[in-house]
Amino acid sequence: MSSEPTTLLQGTLDLLILKSLATGELHGLGISRRIQQITGGTFLVKPGSLFPALHRMEEEGWTSSFWGDSENNRRAKYYRLTKAGRKQLEAESKRWGRISWAIAQALEAS
Amino acid sequence: MPFFPKAASLLRNLFMTRRVEQELDLEVRSHLQLLIDENLRAGMPLREAHRAARIELGGAEQVKQQVREQQLGDSLHSWISDFRFGARQLYKNPGFTLTVVLTLALSVGANTAIFSLVNVLLLKSLPYPHPERMGTIYTRINGSSAASDERHNVNGEQWELLRDNVPALISAVSAGGTSGANLKNGSHVGYVHAGRVSARYFDVLGIQLLMGRSFSEKEDRPHGPKAVILNYNVWRNVFDANPNILGQAVLLKSEPYTVVGVLPQGETTPLNADVFTPLQPSRAGEGGGTNFTAITRLRESATSQEADAQINRAWLSRSGRYELAGNPGAKVSYHSVPFQKGQTDSLRPQVLALMLAAGFILLIACANLAGLTLVRMLRRTPEVATRLALGASNWQIQRQFWIENLLLALIGGAVGTGVGYLGLRGLLLLLPEHFLPVAGVPLDARVMIFTLTVSVLTSVLFGMLPALVARKVDLRSSMADRAVARPGGLRLRQSLLAGEVALTVVLLAGSSLLIRSLIYLETLPPGFNPNGVMVAKASLDDVRYQDPATFRKLLDESTAAMREIPGVQNAAVALSLPYERILNDWITLSDGKEAGHQDGSDLTYVTPGYFDTLQMPLLVGRVFTDADGSDTQRVAVVNQAFARKFYGGGNPVGRYFNQDTLIVGEVSDVPIVSGLDSVAPIQTEQTIYVPAAQVAGGSLAILHVWFQPDWIVRAAGPVEGLTAEMQRALAKADPNLPASGFYSMKDLLARTLATQRIEVALLGSMAALALLLSAVGIFALVANMVAQRTREIGIRMALGSTVGQVMLQIGRSGVNASILGVVLGLILSAGALRVMSSVIYGVGVYDITTIIVVVLTISSVTLLATIIPSLRIASIDPARTLREE
Repeated sequence: MSSEPTTLLQGTLDLLILKSLATGELHGLGISRRIQQITGGTFLVKPGSLFPALHRMEEEGWTSSFWGDSENNRRAKYYRLTKAGRKQLEAESKRWGRISWAIAQALEAS
Repeated sequence: MPFFPKAASLLRNLFMTRRVEQELDLEVRSHLQLLIDENLRAGMPLREAHRAARIELGGAEQVKQQVREQQLGDSLHSWISDFRFGARQLYKNPGFTLTVVLTLALSVGANTAIFSLVNVLLLKSLPYPHPERMGTIYTRINGSSAASDERHNVNGEQWELLRDNVPALISAVSAGGTSGANLKNGSHVGYVHAGRVSARYFDVLGIQLLMGRSFSEKEDRPHGPKAVILNYNVWRNVFDANPNILGQAVLLKSEPYTVVGVLPQGETTPLNADVFTPLQPSRAGEGGGTNFTAITRLRESATSQEADAQINRAWLSRSGRYELAGNPGAKVSYHSVPFQKGQTDSLRPQVLALMLAAGFILLIACANLAGLTLVRMLRRTPEVATRLALGASNWQIQRQFWIENLLLALIGGAVGTGVGYLGLRGLLLLLPEHFLPVAGVPLDARVMIFTLTVSVLTSVLFGMLPALVARKVDLRSSMADRAVARPGGLRLRQSLLAGEVALTVVLLAGSSLLIRSLIYLETLPPGFNPNGVMVAKASLDDVRYQDPATFRKLLDESTAAMREIPGVQNAAVALSLPYERILNDWITLSDGKEAGHQDGSDLTYVTPGYFDTLQMPLLVGRVFTDADGSDTQRVAVVNQAFARKFYGGGNPVGRYFNQDTLIVGEVSDVPIVSGLDSVAPIQTEQTIYVPAAQVAGGSLAILHVWFQPDWIVRAAGPVEGLTAEMQRALAKADPNLPASGFYSMKDLLARTLATQRIEVALLGSMAALALLLSAVGIFALVANMVAQRTREIGIRMALGSTVGQVMLQIGRSGVNASILGVVLGLILSAGALRVMSSVIYGVGVYDITTIIVVVLTISSVTLLATIIPSLRIASIDPARTLREE
């Protein structure tokens, strides 16, 4: 397995975005705020990382997008998971579980 | 992996760029708005809300760029924009682009034309089924002074052994070439090329007849039934595509021949004949010498090793082996050679030499283009420095240059293909009919791939240097240099120029040698007066003229009729004329101390008026008269070369050869095409003239298969409608005797020297092209020096230099390079031109005149190419140049 830190980070961001969309459609800012919320404020995703990731994931076919009205009637682009996206979320979650377990094991070893 | 959404996104990104961009813009804006709303809700004042939102967004344009960079097809996008930029750069420099494209077009065009010849002659298969099974037989002679490995014609004995004792092959023989014959249909008699072939000839070639059959074994036996096979064009044009022609008799050579077959449309044979008759080969007569050309096809079940073993077993057991005559200790063996190679071997050295010359042209062009792009590159140093400073990577800069080179190569290649096509058409027009053993020279896929490869390779070659230089651009000094290009690369450009001038010298020297030897051949002392002579050829391969009395009657009546044409002074007939191929005979001297001496001599029959008509000076004795007939003393006239060779220059008159033939006169030498000991395309050689009236009937038949006699007339001035009058005179003697063509003596010489003329034309145009390219190279170098150093020149002139001094200073760069090139070229020529010794005549490889001409040509071209651009120096105004400082 590749041990590139960027891959790991990118993978993490993808996983967080997928997870944030698991409960329903959100616009960009919504995703950003949701990630902030579910990680207890640990991850603050800036637009400079968020948008490239969103577009890439859409090109991969994990998400689809549409234009809708926000809660205070602003036009905004919404994203939601596709079927492939849900599968990806499942796979990524499992992978992450394995990695975090492995890392925890490694750190506990003496 | 979901393929479909990816592909859809890629297409969207590539083809709906504007919509993708708009949507991205909207999305980023809406994000900003949402952030502002959020901040306002949190109770920030309006301005503060805006500021905080912008900070969090981090710059709308940067965000968009980050999205773009990871969009699918992004790299493709940047390639396209590089191409656009490149095209714009080329469009903005029309002078540079035009020079490069023209240079490329000429050099690629020359290579395309020559390669298409190589392709069709050496690479492509001949148009027969399973050409790899077809072959010819080579004779290898070792262990003697005259070692050789080449295709020999075979004799009757060899043919019979090949046919009967080599079961691995299907074999056939044909006559060496076609002969003229008269074909009668209704009242019209037409002249056709008749090829004589053995049975199975068409089987070896794998040709299926349109209708009918090939010759049977019976028809191919001596004195067998007379049969004929027509080619498609004769069947359609002469016999109106008569579907019932099979089994009918047509009148060929005044005898009925039964049509047994018709060839399909467009079918070519190595003989290229209009009609085919059975060869009827045997060991006697024609088959006594090596007069047959053999072709073979390997049977399905056999291998070529088996075939070679069988050939050697069969042919080495012969009792009389001509290969051993003259060198008894020689080791002789035989081997099969692919048909393609056998057919084109004689053209191979010339074609390869041309390909080499074309390669030189390409190198010269590359050197020029490298120089041009190098200068352009140096001029663009400020642009490169700016782009580097703005953050372009080295790779991006390099890629830009490569893309521009590639664009140039592709444009140049496309134009070059057109030039090559036109060049090839011109070349084919130049070639005599049936010169190449193929029907046509197409620009096929292989030629196209070659052209593309050459273009791209050229681009790599000439792009490499500048790209390497670009690597070393020093940011700080280039920016500070006020965008003045450095005079760098001068040494490099001079070396390139010297190289191309050297190659030009080789090509010029080579073509000068060819021109010199052509001039030598064309200005050989004729030994007769060729002006005012008109020649008509007609075929006497006719059963009626195998009778000496009828033959003599025809000659007497036709020459008498021709003498009556107003303006004609004299007329005669001969088997062959000066500048033509002549019969080789074998004679035995009969008296004096030379008695019993045997050797080869050329021989031709002539009518009594021959020497007068050609105004060939009689040196000793007499020429023929009407009194020399079939029942009188057999007589001969010989030439000076004969007297020299056989009598040590003594008087030959009164001497006998072949027991009963008396030499009655000696005439001057004339150039002929020799088959005896050929050292040049035309030369003088020992020749015997005999009276036409004394040739025996049996000889007449075979002589007229091989040769078409010439009717000659001499006119004092131009005679209107002379050829028509000659045809009419011929018809008076025999209404069924069409002339096959009319020629002046100059035409005959030109026909004989066709190969030499083509060589001169081809290599000459290559050399001219090389010279032109070198001139362009020198011109560009000097012009560029003037442009680069305008400031320096201004200062020098302000300090008191004259225009002449400055011109000398600047022009020296080009002249020095050229001098170095000439020296290199002469050294190179000393080695390279030795290979030409077999194709040049009357001039040595190291010919001082040629060297002087070459050096003078290059010098004057160099001077011109140097002076013209440096004339601009005179118009430089020192004051203005300095003010600009």
